[in-house]
Amino acid sequence: MVNKDIWIYAEQHQQMVQPVTYQLITKANAIKNDKKVVVVLFETPEKNIEEDIKLYGPDEIIVIKDKRIKDAPDSLIADLIAQLSKQRKPNSILFGATVIGRSISARLQAKLLTGLTADCLDLSFEDDLLIQTKPSYGDNIMCEIICPHHFPQMATVRPNIFVAQKTKNNEVTITEVKNLKFKENTNIKVNEERPLLSKLDSIANANRVIAVGRGMSHPDGIQLAFKLATKLGAKIGVTRPLTDLAPFSVDDQIGQSGSSIAPKFLLTLGVHGAVQFTTGIGKADVSVAVNNNPKAPIFDVVDYSFVGDAQAFAEAFLKIIQ
Amino acid sequence: MNLHIVVCVKQVPVSNNVKIDPVTKNLVRSSEPGVMNPFDQNAIEAALKLKHRYGGKVTLISMGPKNFEITLRQGLAMGCDDAILLSSRAFGGADTLATGYVLSQAIKALDKVHLVFFGRQSIDADTGQVGPIVAEFLDWPQVTYVSKITPLSEEIIEATRLMEHMEQTIEVKLPAIFTVRSELNEPRYPTPRNIQLSYQKTIETWDEHSMNLDLNRIGIKGSPTVVRKVWSPSKPKKMTQSLGRDVDHAVQQLLVILRSQNIL
Amino acid sequence: MSIELKEHQQMLHQMVTDFAHKEVKPFDMVIDKQKSYPKSLWNKIINVGLLGLIVPVEHGGADFDAIAEAQTIYDIAQKNASVAFTLEGHYKTVDQLKKYGNKNLQDIYLPQANQRIFGFGSTEPQGGSNVMGHTANAVKEGDYWILNGNKTMITNGGLAEVYLVLLKTAPNELSCFLVDQDMPGFKFGKQEEFFGMRGTPVGEIFLENVRVTNDYLLGKVGQGVEIGDSAHYDARINMGAIAAGICQHALEIVIEYANQRKAIDKPIVELFSIQNKIAEIAIAKQNTQLLYEEAAKLKVQKKLYDKVATMAKSYGSRAAFSACDHALQVLGGYGYSTEYPVEHLLRDARALQIAEGSLEKMVIEISKAVERDRG
Repeated sequence: MVNKDIWIYAEQHQQMVQPVTYQLITKANAIKNDKKVVVVLFETPEKNIEEDIKLYGPDEIIVIKDKRIKDAPDSLIADLIAQLSKQRKPNSILFGATVIGRSISARLQAKLLTGLTADCLDLSFEDDLLIQTKPSYGDNIMCEIICPHHFPQMATVRPNIFVAQKTKNNEVTITEVKNLKFKENTNIKVNEERPLLSKLDSIANANRVIAVGRGMSHPDGIQLAFKLATKLGAKIGVTRPLTDLAPFSVDDQIGQSGSSIAPKFLLTLGVHGAVQFTTGIGKADVSVAVNNNPKAPIFDVVDYSFVGDAQAFAEAFLKIIQ
Repeated sequence: MNLHIVVCVKQVPVSNNVKIDPVTKNLVRSSEPGVMNPFDQNAIEAALKLKHRYGGKVTLISMGPKNFEITLRQGLAMGCDDAILLSSRAFGGADTLATGYVLSQAIKALDKVHLVFFGRQSIDADTGQVGPIVAEFLDWPQVTYVSKITPLSEEIIEATRLMEHMEQTIEVKLPAIFTVRSELNEPRYPTPRNIQLSYQKTIETWDEHSMNLDLNRIGIKGSPTVVRKVWSPSKPKKMTQSLGRDVDHAVQQLLVILRSQNIL
Repeated sequence: MSIELKEHQQMLHQMVTDFAHKEVKPFDMVIDKQKSYPKSLWNKIINVGLLGLIVPVEHGGADFDAIAEAQTIYDIAQKNASVAFTLEGHYKTVDQLKKYGNKNLQDIYLPQANQRIFGFGSTEPQGGSNVMGHTANAVKEGDYWILNGNKTMITNGGLAEVYLVLLKTAPNELSCFLVDQDMPGFKFGKQEEFFGMRGTPVGEIFLENVRVTNDYLLGKVGQGVEIGDSAHYDARINMGAIAAGICQHALEIVIEYANQRKAIDKPIVELFSIQNKIAEIAIAKQNTQLLYEEAAKLKVQKKLYDKVATMAKSYGSRAAFSACDHALQVLGGYGYSTEYPVEHLLRDARALQIAEGSLEKMVIEISKAVERDRG
């Protein structure tokens, strides 16, 4: 008998809960109907991360405290969740589609011999059936996927697809579980974890973003973009072709294979607007595109448009905000 | 060291511009042949580098229809030794779980495999799930999103895992599974000679009778997830406002808009 | 293109296109300005195995045919004509070794063609196409030939390490020999400084009593003219490919420019005079491509290909020059400026009317071939 819990894996690094976890809690609360939203949290004994999670109003938080959680490999976490899942038989389990989330969820899927849908853009319930909406082939095709005969139903969702919201109701049950078996693993050891400072303020978290495309990819254009970004306090992101040009790398890419961004202000310069890019910019508050091709598809997805030379626009804009 | 390395590769459409046929509701794929998933090229390069350094051989495996052979040939042309195509109607319609099962059974059927490489995700489905699924079925350790590989001994490899905000250094004891990022290496070009020779090699084709398989776990039968509905989303037509034709006027307007929205 | 490539040729085409785009294209301006190839570029070309394109598999090569060879030259010429020209000089020389070299010579030198660049020396200071006016010679002494003389204007001269040379073995007789820069008596001479194709070294070699065994004679004594002609025809297919590649390069520059450059509010691509030029450049490329592809096809089918190959060079060299001239005009000041690539494309194209036989000579050959084929 499967119960009516929606589980969310709490992803945390160095005491910080990843925003996607909170985003999933808020979404789960919105679609749960008669179900319970349960967060599954693993932490080392001295921490109390459940206090932060409480603010987003899940119904329950299952906490596993153990010193072996430090440096636990993904396969161990997956095994622990599998044990929990066999004990409590949840309806569904949601993960953020992050590096860790994808790794643990897929291993867990194989342990439980169930279905997992990655990168969902939307989730909803029809009774106990989780309807998973995801794009395929860039953004050209939308699919509805279901897992009708297997439980738990599993899905991953990218950061910044949903919005997180703290709740006023903070009546949360905390359940500490102590009876899980920690498998001894001799074939994998996590030696070191290093934060990457350059990535901590990545474009995914930026409030203002300037996206540079092919139409402004020569050195003068790039220099100008940096000047403008400095003046505006913006971060620079690029389309895929520019990731090969110094000073950019794959980290700076916006879109399907790169980062999804949700800034307050987005200015695209010389970006054509291929689907692989536009998939990543849907949630900007104010978006402006500059391109000298009036038929560029970028103009279908932004708030304001300017048909003309990107460099000229950038120069003029820089001048008036000096 | 003499490593037997397997690289699992997938062929993806040349472009993601696929449409739905309004009558049959089926996917209308471009008639162009597919290309090798770009991350799989990094996986092959990693395998070849290890082979050149320590000796051994590299076997390619792909599950798909016959036209996936061209991707296997490309891998052979980069320098891999053998290629096996897992192809059968019975495998069709598989989701990640069924795919992972078939791949893991194929790997079990080969002579002692030390390492299996995957690209971190395929650019059409983008799940990144199959590598970890295979790792689980083989009960091997896995490291995903590998950006650096350093063999420490005959049995132990140190891998750097590059994540969103941090890096992990992980030691695994072989046999193991890695999924790799493009930061790991620069894939080599196939050489004209290897291209020519690759076409002289035979690609083995295996079907559901060539390996030990529980037929309930393959293809559609073995796939817990079902695609219930597919459609071409009508792009929500944004009401885009033009900033005019004159560049000076346009930037003035933009400044006004940004100030009114408290962005500047 | 007019030929349906087989799957492995298609894979080669894709690989060369990727390589040309990533590795050759960034150096186009640099090569012209510095009048040489960056060492890193040539190392990459050698390491990726392009030198061995037509060397047989059993000698470590890739064994591709004339169609794939021409396609490769075309793909590279689109990004930089000099690199394509150097490869052309190498391939045509290797081709003669394949056709006329004896087994011993082939066993030694075909494997080396994968790594070392080859060149063909026929021109001398006092005569180009008039081979009977030559003085460089080979004299038999017992089991050896003694080689003396100098050859000039050799494509790849100075860069190439192995040369096929046409030497007089009797007053009205030419024979073809292979020489290696490592042989005693071999010396490099002066390097030319040219108007275009500045990456391709063109230079002179001196032979002073160089001793070689009979194995180093290609074909038979007296076959020199035939081998020289064969080299020309093989070269001309690829010269056509270079011409078409230059046209394509010019076409891409013009289209991108014409779409961005405005005159009175609209991009100049909407003006008739520009459209006219775009059409001319496109037709030039298409025609030249059809000619060299046809010549390559005939060669693969083992039919006579000399006439069509010569047409490909004759037509292509003029068409490419004219196409680049149109392109320069479209770009106006930017076309004339040395900071933009068009002017060096024009200078590169100009070489094609001279190298591998002058235009004037082409005309005579084509006319004779037409007469011959009338039966």
